[in-house]
Amino acid sequence: MIRFSDIKREAGFVFGHRQIKLTLLVVFLLSSVSLWSGYAEMQEQQATIERLLKKDETERNAVLTHQSNYGMVAYYAFHLTYAPPSPLAFAAVGERDVFPWKHRIRMLALEGQIYESDTDNPELAFLGRFDFAFVTSVLLPLFIILLLYDLKAKEREARRFDLLNVTARNSHAIWSSRVLVTLVPLVLATLIPLIAFSVVNGASVASILTVCAIVIGSIIIWSAIVLAIGAAKRFAHFSATHLASIMLGVWLVTTVIVPVTGHTIINASVDTPEGGDIVLTQREAVNSAWDKPVEDTWQAFIETHPQWADKTDFDPQRDSSFNWKWYYAFQQVGDQTAKGLSESYQAATLRKDEIASYVALLSPSLLTQRLLTSAADTDVQAMVNYENNVREFHASLRKFYYHHLFEAPDFSTASFKQLPQFSPQVSKKQENTHED
Amino acid sequence: MILNVATIICAEQWRYWMRTKVAATVLLLGAILTIAALVVNAFHINEAAHARDHLQTEAEQRFKAQPDKHPHRMVHYGHYVFRAPTPLSVIEPGVDTYTGNAIFLEGHRQNSAMFAEQRQSAGLTRFSSLTPSFLALVLAPLFIILIGYGSVTREREAGTLTLLLSQGTSRWELLLGKLLALITASSLFLLPLLLACFYVLFSNESALVVMLFCLSYVVYFLLWATVVTACSAIFEKSSVSFTVLIVIWMSACVLLPRLGSSVATNIAPSMGKLEADFKVEEKLRSLGDGHDVNDPAFKKLKEDLLAKYNVDSVDDLPVNFRGIVAQYSEGRQAKVLNEFAETRMSEELEQAQIARQFGWLSPTVAVRSISTILAGTSLETHHRFLREAETLRLDFVQALNKVHAEKLDYKLDMNRNASEEAADKAVVGADNWSMLAEFDFKPEAGSTRISNAFIYFVQLLLWMGLTALLLQAAVRRLNP
Repeated sequence: MIRFSDIKREAGFVFGHRQIKLTLLVVFLLSSVSLWSGYAEMQEQQATIERLLKKDETERNAVLTHQSNYGMVAYYAFHLTYAPPSPLAFAAVGERDVFPWKHRIRMLALEGQIYESDTDNPELAFLGRFDFAFVTSVLLPLFIILLLYDLKAKEREARRFDLLNVTARNSHAIWSSRVLVTLVPLVLATLIPLIAFSVVNGASVASILTVCAIVIGSIIIWSAIVLAIGAAKRFAHFSATHLASIMLGVWLVTTVIVPVTGHTIINASVDTPEGGDIVLTQREAVNSAWDKPVEDTWQAFIETHPQWADKTDFDPQRDSSFNWKWYYAFQQVGDQTAKGLSESYQAATLRKDEIASYVALLSPSLLTQRLLTSAADTDVQAMVNYENNVREFHASLRKFYYHHLFEAPDFSTASFKQLPQFSPQVSKKQENTHED
Repeated sequence: MILNVATIICAEQWRYWMRTKVAATVLLLGAILTIAALVVNAFHINEAAHARDHLQTEAEQRFKAQPDKHPHRMVHYGHYVFRAPTPLSVIEPGVDTYTGNAIFLEGHRQNSAMFAEQRQSAGLTRFSSLTPSFLALVLAPLFIILIGYGSVTREREAGTLTLLLSQGTSRWELLLGKLLALITASSLFLLPLLLACFYVLFSNESALVVMLFCLSYVVYFLLWATVVTACSAIFEKSSVSFTVLIVIWMSACVLLPRLGSSVATNIAPSMGKLEADFKVEEKLRSLGDGHDVNDPAFKKLKEDLLAKYNVDSVDDLPVNFRGIVAQYSEGRQAKVLNEFAETRMSEELEQAQIARQFGWLSPTVAVRSISTILAGTSLETHHRFLREAETLRLDFVQALNKVHAEKLDYKLDMNRNASEEAADKAVVGADNWSMLAEFDFKPEAGSTRISNAFIYFVQLLLWMGLTALLLQAAVRRLNP
């Protein structure tokens, strides 16, 4: 039973300690700086999207006014697709710096376009982002170790240990309340800046609570590890710094060795097609179509698009030997040829991510990082979802143009009112944040 | 004399480490990790080198094996180039896993590199990676701290320090002995790395580069061993020395490199490729579409050409006017594309250099810069790859356009859409495809890389100076 008077006394003790005050201040600063940096970056990404949208519109309108047939418009008109940062993305930049979050797509074979990456500076991505997820998953455990490793040893060295145990009504209560008055300020120092930024950025209450829960959970797990090592009978004769070395060893094994071993094993066990093969296959298929009999293309195309079976004829008066219908059909056949490879490439990405989620169960840091990126919609799943959104959008573009190419209505700019518009899918992640 | 005593103290320290389990465990763990990292990475790089070499040859063969075609179709058929890993990337893979290693080259467009390996890593290697450089730069200092934080404080706490000093051991001898012990211990982590460098010497890498590469790692290890020994001498208690060293490690190895990256992103945001593409398009629209000979932008070109050959219509020209237009507009377009590509690269480089300025605050950042630049896995070398790919792109596209202008009859060309037979006539022979040059990517010359890394050597030198001062202060403050 912890009494209020215990807490008050211990609080007085903890806050009388310069080292602890300093640590809390540093944690508060790190948390704030990481959040500010993520916030600024996401603001910039949002602004970029807005600028791009404007230019995209202008550029497309210019194409529409310059061209006079659907085939040419489809060839020259690009469409911006993007994955806007979620209201919490500033807390966990996640995979947004290696996966693309914006593409300009047109009617040509998609496999040739979707692997283009307009990602950030690779050297900065290599150095890593200083975001809130990094602070909580990698640094916070170290701070917890520093705060708690000499909890009892400090008193032993100051020769107050026995005195404290004797004078306290309940010796457990002292240590529990001392841990509590150390950890609660730590939680506050970490989370207050987060809550402030999240509110400013308009994140939903539920998602803020989720992130808070993840952070608190991580702090509890690490404190438990540290306290368990400190209290273990096996280590009873170890000095405080020896204990701390063991704690750092646990940090090292879980934060560094488990992930890299997992990575090595996953890479060796999950078969991934070479990315280069996808694009090479697609390009061969598209380019060889020019030299093949037209019927070959039509046959492959009609298999997947039977509704156009009767409309594949050329009108020699209007079309000569080159025909846009055929041109876009072989683009599509190119995608179809690479489909198997492309699907297994994506499946491998997801499979690796799935195995990684099991590996994360062995590593509190990795788990924290994964949960945070999942809550912020910046994980691999979210980036793959975006890729699939782009695929869907490309399909809707094809549907629109196929209609105009195969039915061959007279060209009219008014018909472009029906042109599909990309709208980013807002994830329904909020309902099922806990993947594991 | 001074060395004799130091050796005895060093041997004594080693005896202590062997007795206590923690030090022995750390040493063993560190050595195993380094070797594992080297082996795994060497296999990976070797495999990647073979795969990319194979893909490169295959891409070239496929290009050359194309049947008779209209030359402009080959322009759109395009070509792939792959970047082969550099010899030192066995130790320092650098930005390689983040950049993508393949580029599709085609007419009218500059594509970006595709298939960054990092996308396939499920976020597991975002903080740590099983690369020798990560182990040496980030983890090894932690190991050195764990075995060395108490080397002097332990003697003080046990009361043996007074004994040692009163028996005539000088402070310098004592610290030197402790330092020597820590250096020999940390060399267990460093040795595999140096052996790997020695192996690299037998490849075609410049010997001077490899030596400087090794040297920067050796200095880095010496720095940490010195800082740890000095802290252990300066602080009264093991616990304080431990805490201070862990805080130093956290800031230097973990915090500052990332802070540098975030600061650079926010101070100098760079325009993404998409955004630059819009600007390129805006500019290009004023230059004319190379597919359309009737574009008014080519009027002047046409008049000049007619005047030059003294004929009245393009039909009478001895060259194919469409090929001339394609050549002309590709060249003009490439100029615009390169102008923007250069701007983008210099923006990226500026960002990277901002992040590297953090080397004044952390030796880890300094050595990381040296290590990636010397290994040819830095942003500079990636940019070189992009530039070389672009040169190859423009070369083969323009060579095809030249074939288009000189070897394909204008009338046949204009008539190509009339019927399938006409299309079959508007082609040139497959023997023309052999003009494609081989792509064999090599990083910058050793001397260029060394001069690129110069300023970061200065950073490292500063750290050596500061550390020497710290050691001196430690000797002065060493009291029983």
